[in-house]
Amino acid sequence: MKRVGIVFGILFLFIVLFVFISELVSPKYSIHLVEGGMIRDYYLENTHHDVLFLGDCEVYANLNPMNLYENYGITSYVRGTSQQLMWQSYFILKETLHYETPKVVVLNVNAMRYSEPVSEAYNRLTIDEMKWSKEKIEIIKASMTKEENFFSYLFPILRYHSRITSLTDEDFTYLFQKKKNTHNGFLINQNVKPYTSFPTERPLTQSDFSPIDYEYLDKIRVLCEENKITLVLMKAPSLYPYWYPEYEENIKRYANTYQLDYYNFLEKIEEIGIDYQKDTYDGGLHLNLTGANKLSTYFGAILKEKYSLQDHRNDDKIKEVYEKKLREYYKEVES
Amino acid sequence: MKLRKIFILSLLGLCLLGCENKETVEESFALKYQNQTFTLGEVFSKEKYGEELSYSEVSSCAFEGLDKTYRYSDFEVTTYPIDGEEKVAVIYFLDENIETTEGLKISDSLQKMLDLYGTDYQKEDTMYQYQKGNTLLKFIVSNDTVISIEYVLEI
Repeated sequence: MKRVGIVFGILFLFIVLFVFISELVSPKYSIHLVEGGMIRDYYLENTHHDVLFLGDCEVYANLNPMNLYENYGITSYVRGTSQQLMWQSYFILKETLHYETPKVVVLNVNAMRYSEPVSEAYNRLTIDEMKWSKEKIEIIKASMTKEENFFSYLFPILRYHSRITSLTDEDFTYLFQKKKNTHNGFLINQNVKPYTSFPTERPLTQSDFSPIDYEYLDKIRVLCEENKITLVLMKAPSLYPYWYPEYEENIKRYANTYQLDYYNFLEKIEEIGIDYQKDTYDGGLHLNLTGANKLSTYFGAILKEKYSLQDHRNDDKIKEVYEKKLREYYKEVES
Repeated sequence: MKLRKIFILSLLGLCLLGCENKETVEESFALKYQNQTFTLGEVFSKEKYGEELSYSEVSSCAFEGLDKTYRYSDFEVTTYPIDGEEKVAVIYFLDENIETTEGLKISDSLQKMLDLYGTDYQKEDTMYQYQKGNTLLKFIVSNDTVISIEYVLEI
C-alpha cells in the first residue's frame, strides 16, 4: 500500500514538473508577439456583446469597440487574429457561440484570398491560447501545415522545448498570469508612418476564390442563420495586399446570392476621412488609433441604424463594466 | 585478363563519378542582366544593384522585420531580413526590356517558354513554375503570352 502511494507520489510530481516546464517554455504573448495573446483576452469577458467582428489584422487594428460604445452604446468584441483564415473564423465563431450569441457578426473577407494554411507561426498566434474545446481540436486539424503535427499543440513542450536556453524576463514575469493587451480585442497602435508606395501589383493567376474558402464562408453563413444572427461582410480600407476587382466581384456576387450586406470601406476612404499620411502606422496596411476611430465612428452609425442595435449606455450593469474598460483604455491611450 | 582490366577501369570510373557527384553544387536560377549575375539569397547591396527609383516597405501582421522592395527601371527586387542582413528573395520583371538568363521576356509566347525551359514545370491555374534547388522561376501566361516573370527564393 505504501509502495503504491510512493509510485503515485512520484507520478504526481512528474506531471507537475512536466506541466510547469511546458508552461515555462511556451511563449507568453504578453510583451512580445502580443498578437498571440488576443484570442485569450476574450475569456475574461463577463458581459454580452451585440456585435462580433471576425477576421485578420484588418479587424483588430482597424475597428475599435471602445469607440463604438462611447459614440453609440454598441457593445462589441473583435475576435480577430493575425492572418486569420476562413476556417479559423468559422471555428472561432463556433466557439464564441458557447459563450454568447451576438446579434450581428461582421466578417472581414480579406482572408478569402488564401486557399491553404500559410505558416505555422501564424497558426500559433491564433490557436496556442485558445481554451481546449472541440473547436480547438477542429481548428488545429483544419489549420496545420504539412510540417506540423497535432501533438505539438497538445503538448507545447514538444514544440517549444528549445526555448529553455533562451528564456527571458517575460517568461518568468508572466508565467502564471498573462498580460491583457487588447480592449475588447482591439490592439491600440498610435504610431504614424505615412503611405509612400507598395510593390507592383502582380497579375492574378486565379480570378475566383478557392472552393475551401466558399465552403467555410457557407458554414459561417449557415451557422449565423441557425442562431438568428445577422451576418455582415466587410472589407477593411487596407491598401495592401491589393484587393483585386475580381475579388470584389466574387464577394458582391456571393452577398447578392444570399442577400447579405457587404461594405467595402476601400471605396469610402474619402467619406470616412482617412488620411493615409496620418492615419496609418505602417504605410497603409493597417490604421493607427486615429484611423481606427474614424472607421469605427463611420461604421458604428451604419451598424446602429441598419441593425437596430440597442444603446447600452443607460444600462447600469453594462455602464459599470464599460466605465472600467474605458478608464483602462484611456490610460493606455494617454501613456 | 582483358575482362579484368575493363572491370577495374569501370569500377574506377564509377568511383570517380561518385566523387564528382558529391562535389556538385546544387543548381539554382540566377538572373544575368547587363553583365552582372543577380542571385537569389545573396546579400542585397546598392553597390551591385544601384540606386533605386523608388522604395517601399511591407511589414508582417505580427512579426518583426520588413520586406523591402526596391524598384528599378526594368525590375523590382524584394529582400527579406535574416540574421541582421538583407537578402534577395524576389526579382520581378516590370517590362519587356529585360529577359531571363535563358532569353525569355514578357510578351514572348508560351511556346517559346516551353522551348527554353521544357515541360518539367508545376502548373497552378495560369502560372507555370520551374524549380532549381531552392529557387523558383514563375511565369504567368495569358492567351498563350507570358505576362509575368518572377524569380523567387523558397525561404
